[in-house]
Amino acid sequence: MAKVTINGIEVDVDPSMTILKAAEKAGIPVPTFCYHPRMDPAGSCRICAVELEDSKKVVMSCVTPVSDGMRVLTESPKIHEARKTNLELLLLHHPLDCPVCDCGGECPLQNMSFAYGATESRFESHRNDEPEDMKSDVLVFNANRCILCGKCVRICDEIQDVHAIGFINRGFDTIIGPPLGKKLDCEFCGDCLEVCPTGAITDHFVRYKYRPWQLEKQQTTCSYCPSGCQMFVETENEAIVRVTSQEGVGPNEGSICAVGRFGFNHVQIPERFDTPYMRSLHRLVPSSWDEVLPEIASQLNAIRKKGVDRIAGLISNRVPMEDAYVFQSFFRKTLHSNMIDTGSRYSFMNAALPIVDATGTLRPLVDHEDILKAKVILVIGADPVSESNITGLFAKRAARKERSRLYVVDSEAITLSNRAKDHIRIHPGGEQIFLDVLSEEIRDSQNMTPEWISRKEELFKNWNVDPSAYQRLLNDLKSAETGVIIAGRKLFRIETPVSGVEALLRITGDLGWIDRAGCGLFVLPEAANDLGVLMMGASYEWLPGLMDSSDKSSKGRWEEAWGGRLSYGPGGGLDAILKGIDEGRINALISLGENPIGHFPVGSRVREILSKLDLIISIDMFQNDLSDMAHFVLPVASAYERSGHLVSAEGFVQPIKPTMAYWGESLPDWQILDRISTAMGNPMGIESAEGVMAEIVRFLPDLSPSSRNGSHFVGGTGEIHLATPVVFPGILSSPKSIQAGTALPAAHKANRESVSSRYLGWREKAKEKSGIPAHPIAGEGEFVLELTKSLFHSGKMTLIDSNLKKIQPEGKLRINRQTARKRKIKKGEQVVLRTTFGTCSFVVEPSPAVSEFELTFPVHFANGQVLGLFAPDLEFSAGTGSPVTHRIRVSLETQNAN
Amino acid sequence: MTFKSLMNNVLFVEIVKGLKVTFGHFFKKTLTVQYPHEKLTLADGYRGFIVHRRYENGQERCVGCDLCEAICPAKAIRVVGDIHPEFPERRYAKEYTLDFTRCIFCGFCVVACPVNALSMTKEFAHSSFTREGLIYPKEKLLALGDRCEDESIAYLKVRNMWGAEDSGKEEGRYHFPPISTTQSGG
Repeated sequence: MAKVTINGIEVDVDPSMTILKAAEKAGIPVPTFCYHPRMDPAGSCRICAVELEDSKKVVMSCVTPVSDGMRVLTESPKIHEARKTNLELLLLHHPLDCPVCDCGGECPLQNMSFAYGATESRFESHRNDEPEDMKSDVLVFNANRCILCGKCVRICDEIQDVHAIGFINRGFDTIIGPPLGKKLDCEFCGDCLEVCPTGAITDHFVRYKYRPWQLEKQQTTCSYCPSGCQMFVETENEAIVRVTSQEGVGPNEGSICAVGRFGFNHVQIPERFDTPYMRSLHRLVPSSWDEVLPEIASQLNAIRKKGVDRIAGLISNRVPMEDAYVFQSFFRKTLHSNMIDTGSRYSFMNAALPIVDATGTLRPLVDHEDILKAKVILVIGADPVSESNITGLFAKRAARKERSRLYVVDSEAITLSNRAKDHIRIHPGGEQIFLDVLSEEIRDSQNMTPEWISRKEELFKNWNVDPSAYQRLLNDLKSAETGVIIAGRKLFRIETPVSGVEALLRITGDLGWIDRAGCGLFVLPEAANDLGVLMMGASYEWLPGLMDSSDKSSKGRWEEAWGGRLSYGPGGGLDAILKGIDEGRINALISLGENPIGHFPVGSRVREILSKLDLIISIDMFQNDLSDMAHFVLPVASAYERSGHLVSAEGFVQPIKPTMAYWGESLPDWQILDRISTAMGNPMGIESAEGVMAEIVRFLPDLSPSSRNGSHFVGGTGEIHLATPVVFPGILSSPKSIQAGTALPAAHKANRESVSSRYLGWREKAKEKSGIPAHPIAGEGEFVLELTKSLFHSGKMTLIDSNLKKIQPEGKLRINRQTARKRKIKKGEQVVLRTTFGTCSFVVEPSPAVSEFELTFPVHFANGQVLGLFAPDLEFSAGTGSPVTHRIRVSLETQNAN
Repeated sequence: MTFKSLMNNVLFVEIVKGLKVTFGHFFKKTLTVQYPHEKLTLADGYRGFIVHRRYENGQERCVGCDLCEAICPAKAIRVVGDIHPEFPERRYAKEYTLDFTRCIFCGFCVVACPVNALSMTKEFAHSSFTREGLIYPKEKLLALGDRCEDESIAYLKVRNMWGAEDSGKEEGRYHFPPISTTQSGG
């Protein structure tokens, strides 16, 4: 340790620390422009100058390491003069256009000039008069205002690893921008916009539309992907103006992706439902809550009398925990129905079921910090950058800065494969056999049966797996002290997703990762609150706390908790709901932000089946296929308007807070259900979302709000909840004991000991199963069409967002560049894809990222036409009941061929 | 009663004394202004109605910077800035409303304006039967400014705000994207 005296305050710091960090520790602020805590110091702005008392020298505190006995002055006449001169030099070419600059009012340069009184320059020079670079649809670069601190360039390189902008020219002519004067083409995360200390980088969406002092700031959690980013929504007159982040706040540490930063405009467009609608004479007519509620209540009451499981419910996997909790209790308590399901069913359920089966919890064993520290990272069937952007950032950082060995197993070249030690470009369809062989080899590599050896050879021969890369991966997995396997959307949508996830669980167990801290499987849920919605029991399998809904004892516990009998039927998921409606056993459907029609091919019978219903209530924000059929459409508040909590992929329970007033007459989901319940004569007595959260925390204390920087802890026990047996301190012991324990940090990760004991039991049962191997593609002109997630959209809701529409206006079919050249397909041309079920035409975009056997299309743009390529018969996978429409073999025809 | 006082009473001396002032005014210059028909000459620094000004080429000066809104003590001004529809690099006020029912004519907005787009005139007698009639949109302020151009210039000059920008020098107090002289309208 080194002893440093800063302004007379003595601090003990690590000798590797810089003076700036030591001053930070001593609580002394030092002004900076180019310093950024997450990046390497640059020392280019010269404003953090400090004086060394002994040598009387002026040094830059952000790059000078401390030494023992150092005495530093951060404020002295000499320093004041040095900083002032520096500002004069910085302002030499800086235009004085603060009144029209978007940064004016929150500009560090402005504040500093004011503080140091740098009003007149002693130097004479010209003002730069470079025209603004407005080629990009998103960002505007104003070279005149730039002070060349290089923060934007460095954040793009060091944090985002995108390298989209750089310094151009030399000396006085240096400007910042994309290379070669091209149009900016990047991930549009907007981090450069965020870190820019002046108004040199602005964005087209809110340019000139606000002044910083007019905006009201509210911290909230992003509700798009499961990263759980903390963002600041800034509003003026109840309208969202912009979204910003703050350095070091939340699990995202100040980075947000394009969707979070720019995708806020769709919640404030006139197309949004602002009043309840009621169907009368085949038309939806605007109505009011007072008219609609008694009508809904009497119809639901009539159907409820017919018996249990008569009313089905679907809930989106983006709603807060509170709404999911109220949703399931409304169905189970009031409607006597267990026919409920969530949007997770379409993919994440394929992972959730085996994981809960094996570990008893949905909480992950590892978080982003473990990813950062992991010695080996395997990414399979996932594109972390687009699915959960911050997970992607941490993986990038691990590979780049921490020298983790990163392996990517994917047919497509994802963003992370640039940083991968080995990118195993497995052919689409080979994931299952790869995992099976890997799992078997890790279990017992010495005694592999001939059958397994032949499968391993098949893997190398047919599935484009490089044997040496495979061997390196195997060795690294076995030898690494810490490791993380990241699996995502693509793996949950392979032909046999459950076997795939089970193989991953076997691998983590056999590697001994279950018991070892910092190791484990990290799955990426699809939407912001997949974990929370499932933990709240919004699917038919589980009661809140992931307790088996068919199990008598866990049902009994909740009966005790809620103080009433639960008389629901066996229930069922999406498949059972559709079947039940078809057979007339279900008469009503209440959908909270879900549109099942949009998930199935245009030729499928879903629409016909749903039309058999006596009552459809669509609780949604926008018009969609289901609301067109609905008897009642109820307007719902958006994530920017209501309060609640979301569970991130890391397991953090983080709050979303209202940033603007409810749109029109819209209400949050819980309030709509509460009002319906009251109108039906069974008031639930809910007063606020906070009240619901208090009830949740009372019964399930480990779901208390938590966050990495601990800014909004409420408290908790840190225990995990196993599906069986249940830890239920909220009821059996006194609730006071939990409230007393608020000092305990709430654990976001699963408790390894309890997971381990359960896992051992599961591992005994889980035989060395293997999935059904898919057939490799042989035919010429045959491809596998995959629906992938785009970086610039989240679900279908953002397609109408004017900002994101500007970034990605349409979905293009991506095809391997060489294949396109061979078949003479040019960019922007139309091609037709054909399957036995249908045809559809696409606009082509050749890309080197896609392998020669596959075609990818962003799933957000997959309308009924595109889905028409898939089998129209309603097929559900046996184990998890999720629909099987994810990838299919297609033949490609160019339009002008023959 | 003395003789003196008797004579005073008989000769109405008091009344004559009193009327001396009255009759004296017959021969003085009149002070009363027959207001609607006659008007006083107001000083150049008179803080009357606020107007918007234009450049010589007809371009409106306002850049929608919101500084007048920020400084207004009566919260009478509302500015909505946006990108100029013709020049995407320029900021302008998409909406600008000045509520003269709230305005206290302090002149702070004129001081705050970095481009001398605001000035005060000698107009004071704008009245309306409705409150809305006194809430002036930008168009009305510009029209008023066109009508009272000389007054607005005089105000700025007398209040020492006729800075470098208006004296024809290339570099003003603030450096904005140069206004093209060929462009007209706005």
